[in-house]
Amino acid sequence: MNSKQNSDADYLWDKTGEPDPEIQQLEEILGTLRYQPRPLEIPAGLHVGRERSFFRSYAAPLAIAATVAMLLLGLGLWLGLQRLQRSPQQIVKSPDTPQVQPVSSPDEKQNSAVAASTPAPEQKRIEESPRHRVNPSLLAQNSKRDRNTAVKDQQLTLKQQQEARAAKDQLMLALRVTSAKLNLAQKKAQSTNAPDLIHNQHKIG
Amino acid sequence: MKLLSQTLLKIASVKLAALAVLLMLGATATALAQDPRIQTSQLDALAAKASETVDVNIDESLMALTTKFLSSKDEDEKKVKELVSGLKGIYVKSFEFESEGQYTDADLESIRSQLRNPAWSRIINARSKKDGSVEVYVMHTGGQISGLAVLATELKEITVINIVGPVDLEKLTQLEGEFGIPDLGLEGSKPKRKN
Repeated sequence: MNSKQNSDADYLWDKTGEPDPEIQQLEEILGTLRYQPRPLEIPAGLHVGRERSFFRSYAAPLAIAATVAMLLLGLGLWLGLQRLQRSPQQIVKSPDTPQVQPVSSPDEKQNSAVAASTPAPEQKRIEESPRHRVNPSLLAQNSKRDRNTAVKDQQLTLKQQQEARAAKDQLMLALRVTSAKLNLAQKKAQSTNAPDLIHNQHKIG
Repeated sequence: MKLLSQTLLKIASVKLAALAVLLMLGATATALAQDPRIQTSQLDALAAKASETVDVNIDESLMALTTKFLSSKDEDEKKVKELVSGLKGIYVKSFEFESEGQYTDADLESIRSQLRNPAWSRIINARSKKDGSVEVYVMHTGGQISGLAVLATELKEITVINIVGPVDLEKLTQLEGEFGIPDLGLEGSKPKRKN
């Protein structure tokens, strides 16, 4: 009995003893599940981990591109502002330089004067735009130029002159008010700071 | 190691972008804070009550136009031209009323709140219960006056002046009574020029 058990045990342990039918049956059943070495096959449609978003993938280049874009935008705005600030000074001509004297009827002159005394913002923009610059020397020499266009340009020059005269009056008024108020402030400050000095002054002569 | 360097690069890029944005915002805020132009449109409502109104708005383009039309041959105009050359704008609002109490401190608060900006320095503050008050503010940029603001109030009058650009206060004060600008008869103004 013991030898049979030993032989069974040997077969069960290392297959050296007498084979046991029950064990053989179990071997056949479980043998299908035995490890069989073969290369790992990953299905093509299988996605490992989370899918990365576009922004996450390209965060660094996008950040650099945004920085450069903002700097360019800022530079462009600054240059545009500089250009806008410079352009009106280039349009206007000095009174010392010869000006084109427009030949227009009294009605036209009156209308121009009225328009110039109350300049509309839109009108002002149009007059100051580079498209409406007047070149007197070109007007005098170009005989093929359309007469209506020339007259219109001359009227614009007259309007500019009228506008400048009105602005000059306004400027003088502003300077007058400013000077008066500054003098008043100076006088008040002096009288507040040194009241005794003023009170103790004696009239000479 | 490679992953670590990539992560550090990303963090550095994002921080660089944020820094650039902050710098731009800061520069814009600084530029706005140091703008010598003050807004006076809040006072426009007083025009309906005023018996006399002075409203002068000469911006940079109009100033350039006017300066160009000031003659360099005429001595008086030449002086004015020198005074206003370089200025970027002159804005004056003055309201004169028939009776007292037509305006309140609340009307002036919008102006004063702008002048409380640290960029402005009050150089004169003359107050009198009887005669009203005059406050003169200047803004300095790079050691030079870049703006002037005057807030003058009397019982029946209120005046706000704003000059943008380099102002010569001495020349401006001496202007009253000179050439085209009549002396308004205010006491304490400079003696008239002797011919």
